[in-house]
Amino acid sequence: MGAFLVKDIMLLLRDRSELLVLLAMPFLLIAILGFSLRGIFSGDLEALEMDVAFVTLDDEAQAVEAIQNEIDAMGIPQADAEALKQAAAAISPQTMLVSLLESENLDGLIPLQNMEQAQAAEGLEEETVDAVITIPDGFTEAALRNMLFGSGDGTELQMLAADLTSPQAEVLNSILEEFVGTVNFEAAISRLAGGETVTGAEVAGGVETITARPPISSFQYYTIGMAVMFVLFVGSTIASQANLEQKQMVFDRILLSDRPPLLYLGSKALAASLIVLVQLILLFDLSSLIFRTFSADSWSFWFGVAIISVVLAAAVGCLAALMTSLTLRLQSDAVPSIFSGGVIALMAFLGGSFMPMGGTPEILQTIGNWTPNGAAMSAYFSWLLEPEAGNLAGPLTRIGITALLFLLVALAVFPKKGEVL
Amino acid sequence: MLDTDKLTKKFKDTVAVDNVTISLRQGESVGLLGPNGAGKSTAIAMISTLMKPTSGDVRLHGKSVLKNNGAMRAILVVVPQKIALYEELSAYENLKFFGRIYGLTGKKLEGQIQYVLELVGLSDRQKELVKNYSGGMQRRVNLAAAMMHEPEVLIMDEPTVGIDPQSRNHLLETIRKLNREQGMTVLYTSHYMEEVEKLCDRVYIMDHGKVIASGTKEELKGILSEEETVWIEFDKSYPKLFEKLGQIEGIQHAVTDEHSLKLIIPKGARVLGTLFHEAERYGAQIINVNVQTPTLEDVFLRLTGRKLRD
Ligand SMILES: Nc1ncnc2c1ncn2[C@@H]1O[C@H](COP(=O)(O)OP(=O)(O)O)[C@@H](O)[C@H]1O
Ligand SMILES: [Mg+2]
Repeated sequence: MGAFLVKDIMLLLRDRSELLVLLAMPFLLIAILGFSLRGIFSGDLEALEMDVAFVTLDDEAQAVEAIQNEIDAMGIPQADAEALKQAAAAISPQTMLVSLLESENLDGLIPLQNMEQAQAAEGLEEETVDAVITIPDGFTEAALRNMLFGSGDGTELQMLAADLTSPQAEVLNSILEEFVGTVNFEAAISRLAGGETVTGAEVAGGVETITARPPISSFQYYTIGMAVMFVLFVGSTIASQANLEQKQMVFDRILLSDRPPLLYLGSKALAASLIVLVQLILLFDLSSLIFRTFSADSWSFWFGVAIISVVLAAAVGCLAALMTSLTLRLQSDAVPSIFSGGVIALMAFLGGSFMPMGGTPEILQTIGNWTPNGAAMSAYFSWLLEPEAGNLAGPLTRIGITALLFLLVALAVFPKKGEVL
Repeated sequence: MLDTDKLTKKFKDTVAVDNVTISLRQGESVGLLGPNGAGKSTAIAMISTLMKPTSGDVRLHGKSVLKNNGAMRAILVVVPQKIALYEELSAYENLKFFGRIYGLTGKKLEGQIQYVLELVGLSDRQKELVKNYSGGMQRRVNLAAAMMHEPEVLIMDEPTVGIDPQSRNHLLETIRKLNREQGMTVLYTSHYMEEVEKLCDRVYIMDHGKVIASGTKEELKGILSEEETVWIEFDKSYPKLFEKLGQIEGIQHAVTDEHSLKLIIPKGARVLGTLFHEAERYGAQIINVNVQTPTLEDVFLRLTGRKLRD
């Protein structure tokens, strides 16, 4: 198989225009969509209306009391202690957040409804609310501790949304993010004022370390969307190469060498998988490097991404094998040209590469979920939002099942050893 | 060693190969001559186990290869009609790939690559991409790739199409060497009768899917022993006159080239007088008259009434 594999990969590397489609195009689209839709995401307020449930698990009064008791126990001068205690009672981070969300700038677009946690979860399920903001237990205490004493990890907020990738959720999330940032930033400033040696960088770092859940940015959305779309082109590239081999009678030579023809097919699949992996690595890395799409600091995050990528690459390998088999059997390049000329765009659309499919008919979403690109996309997203292995099981199983199906049909259609087309 | 028995291939509405029975003896060089569309490539595809016949059989040492084609594939190699190479790879890289799929590795592989490059005279340009070669060089690499597998039987399908005279001579010389010096059995397909005449011991002439004549060159030309070929050159073309001359009684076949006319007439037929007379009537000037020894081209003309090439 080595001979075949070396040949298949060399052929691809020598083909400039093909490389352009596989690498430069998606990168260009990431840049264009990432930039232009970022503007739309935060600019278009009309479209932002959403029903938000507000859940408080935090007891503010108790937190203030705890902090005040702590101040008493610190043994600082009476006057200072009184001032701190008053500040603790007056700050009320909860009130700050509510008034921010209901402020004039947002024009009442985000009506908050106070709810119990269970009720909010149910609302989210039934889609009567679009998002849930949860003030976790200990929120006020953590905020106050951070602001007044400069200790602890800062505040944390939780946001759940039916569709975290929607522009509305995106905006809400960035508002929350900014809020948490401000609270933590003020803490840093007050620490600086308190005479501690905090460098500028660390202040900035304090702003950066937002503990609110990361939203999906337009760059993240389109890096993933374009990557899972453009890996599909590898399938048609490989299959049209097979067509050329057949037309130019190189395939005849290969048949006459009497090597098991399955080696030829296996090499096509493996070459496709390897190319897809390289493609994914380059797209994710370049996008992170240039647009700061994904932060590089978490090994576990990249590990998950790698696993999803390997599964996706294997699936595209099986797809390439299927298209190669059909191309040889039909003795025409109809399959790869129809695939690259329309099917990929359709699959990408259904899979959500261009826009979230949240509002579309259920049937489209189901089909999209079963495309390898759509399934990979939801795997990447759920990993990005919550790196839990359990979240990957569903989409990865779907990819596995479709890949197996591709492979079985490919093997059934492919000419057997000694068979003559 | 290699025989076909009433080999037939039907496509939807054409019978591409029609009851073709041919045989190759060990070490022989056999030509398959016929115009475009005669069915040569289709016959070769069936002989080389790449296509299933509609009916008939292909036998190697008396054993049918239709069910079990491994034995045939092990000893035979085909140089296809197309440039069956990877254009984006160099000659060296192509040969390496074809050598490896025939199981060659390491020193043996390297040695064979250099040997076949030497054979086709391309050692010094082996690193260039095939797409940058001239048509003639591509044809030479096309042969070289086949020779990576040391075959007993070499089947070539019109290997000199689109080639410069120098490369053509080199190629023909190479094939002759392989046949004469290494005892390789050669089946050579062409619509150029000069090539087949030069290279082959025996010839099958095909037209419209059928073998219409076969034998040694001498035997085939014997078909014309009762005839003569007369070749007349005029100062320019006289279409009306040429048509008229073709209809003179006693003339069996006539074909025209720009300024000249070729006639096949029975030996001793007295047509020249009439011919000169007609020419005079049309005011045509005869520059040259030549009574020729027949060629295979003439044999084809005699058998089909057409030229091998148009
Ligand atoms: N795959 C095919 N399908 C239908 N007709 C074919 C096919 N291959 C060849 N033919 C027809 O069979 C005839 C013989 O073709 P071919 O064997 O290529 O002739 P040659 O090699 O002598 O030029 C032609 O009329 C050609 O059009
Ligand atoms: Mg042909």
